[in-house]
This record gives sequence, structure tokens and C-alpha cells, in this order.
Amino acid sequence: MLNQNESLDVSAKTVEEAIDQGLEQLNLTRDQVEIEVINEGKRGIFGIGSEEAVVRLTPKPQTVVSSQSHNDIQSAEAASDVLPEVPATLEKEDVVEAVDAVDVEAESSTEAIAQPPDAEAEIPLDEETEPEQDVAASAKAYLEELLDHMGIEAEVTPRIAPDLVDPGEEPPLVLDVTGKDLGILIGRRSETLQALQYMVRLMVSKDMQSWQRIVVDVESYRARRRRSLSQMAKRMAERAVSSGERVVMESMSAYDRRIIHVALRDHPDVFTKSIGRESNRKVTIIPK
Amino acid sequence: MGHLKDLTLEMARAVVSKAEEVRVEEVEGASMIVLELSVAPDDMGRIIGKEGRVANAMRTLLRTSAAKDGKRVNLEII
Repeated sequence: MLNQNESLDVSAKTVEEAIDQGLEQLNLTRDQVEIEVINEGKRGIFGIGSEEAVVRLTPKPQTVVSSQSHNDIQSAEAASDVLPEVPATLEKEDVVEAVDAVDVEAESSTEAIAQPPDAEAEIPLDEETEPEQDVAASAKAYLEELLDHMGIEAEVTPRIAPDLVDPGEEPPLVLDVTGKDLGILIGRRSETLQALQYMVRLMVSKDMQSWQRIVVDVESYRARRRRSLSQMAKRMAERAVSSGERVVMESMSAYDRRIIHVALRDHPDVFTKSIGRESNRKVTIIPK
Repeated sequence: MGHLKDLTLEMARAVVSKAEEVRVEEVEGASMIVLELSVAPDDMGRIIGKEGRVANAMRTLLRTSAAKDGKRVNLEII
């Protein structure tokens, strides 16, 4: 399971193409990685039944780039979060989507900041029509109901949280969840916390007829995560500068990637961009 | 174990436009619980969501909830 974090899955028409794309993305040569062929791919007939070739590239330990960033992420997370290991039940379709294509597209820091991390296109953004109390009360009620049905006893307290955004940004409504043994509510790579937040946003937004950027937090996880991510970003930036090579971080949610972009926005010697698609997007720190 | 069915109903009803057409059947095995969820045909897109996000969020919460009792859960949207 540890290897999964630092390895890169790439798909293309053929195994060779996938390997080449992956090496290019990692900025490594063939002898610096372990190559595992996950799917050899099929041609199919007239494109029907064809499958893309999928390979997994894992940088060898002596390679500076990924292994160190990975170790740092592990230690940073170990230091700040006590998470139970929920077994990874990665569904097949997810894997296929995640490795679908290696798409390198620039996501400038400013762009990343301007976009609310989870804004959904189907519900128009409409900021000032509803009194905040209504949103807070309805969000609290929905979250309590979800937790109750999940069989989890916890307190939900809504608050406006300037501590969870950067100065000058509009503070979001946060629902703080407190109680005993709430590690399961965070889950592996905060998957459960994100799901909970997404459901609450959907429920409230549907009632309010406008997209609500509500944050669900468990035992101050968000603040700790913000801190450890920005510290890690700065360490990785130093590493990129001293080695002169780009550092590819592990795949993260849009919200987490944004924290990294913001943390290094004013760094004199590096710039950042996100590469990869969907759940496989990774921040890359590039020396100037 | 009725709470998984209730959880599914609550989440599904909150997402669809025709809440009255949401149905959930729960089949409990030794270690696996299967939840069969059906919604109005024109709500299929809403229940699955963009790139499966809604369905995946529901599955994650169901899995977390079932894991407390040492069970596995499979949500099928039919």
C-alpha cells in the first residue's frame, strides 16, 4: 500500500507509449524506475473491445524526486493525524478513470485560487441571497441526521472560519464535528470526510437552490492538514531548488492542491503546476 | 442493521427530484450487505453524479458505517 502512493499509473495505446509518457511526466529515465505492466491492452475490432495498455512506474529508492517527497508526506501525516487504515477498495472504473490519460496542463496559481475547490457546474453560484443562519441551521440538521444514520454519536457546531482560509478570502461556514473516536469519519486520505462534506453540500445546496461552500471538519483536521501541507510544500520547494529537479507530490484533492499552490505562490525560486487527471492530479514543484 | 437502508434512503431522497420514487432493498449476507437502490429514470443522472461523484460519496459513507460492524457493503443502483 505504501508503494501505491509513490508510483505512477499511465495508460496509452501501447505499453511502450505508456512507459514513455510516464517517464516524461516523472522526468526520469528508464533505469531509474521499476516498470510493472498492469494491462497489456487490446486492439479490439474497429475500436470495439479495445483496451488501453496500463503500466505502473515506481521510482527506485535512490532517485531523489518521488521517494523523498513520499517519505515526507508520510511523516507529516503521521505526525499530525491519527487515522485508522481503512482497506483500499479501489473500484476498477476508478482506476481506469484515474489513469485514463496523462494530461499535462498548466494550472496557474492564480487560477487555482480563483476557483472554489468544489464548485459544481450544475448549481449556479449565488452568494448573497440566503441569510447565513438558514444555511448553518439546515447544514447542521442534515449533518446530524447523516451521522445519526451512520451510527456515530457526535456534536455538530457551526461557525464561520477565517482560520481555514488565507487572509483576504471570504471565510467559509464550517461544521465542526466533535466526539469520541472520530478517526473513521476522516478515513484513508480523508476520503470519508470529503464524502460527508460533499453530501452535506449537495443537500443544503438543493434546498437553497444555490451552491453552498460548506466545510465539514472533524476534530480540527482541516487546520492541521493545512499546516502540515504548507510546511511540506516549503520543504519540497527547498529540495527542488537544491537538487535543481522538479518534485512531484502525491495525488491530492483540489482543495489540498490549492493549499500547496498558495503556500508557494510568492516563492522566489520555484513555480507550481498540477499534472495528471481527476483523482490522479499531482502538484509538481519546478525550480525556476 | 436497518440503519444502512435508512442512510441510503436519506441520501438518495435528498439528491433526487422525485423523492417518492426512491426505493431501497437490503439483502444481508454473512459478511456482505447488498443495497439495491432504484430511483425515477430521470433521476439516474442525479444519483450517479458527474463522474460518479454522488454514487461514490454514498458508497464511501455506507462503507464507513458498515465497517463499524465489521461488514462490507455493496450499493447497486438499478
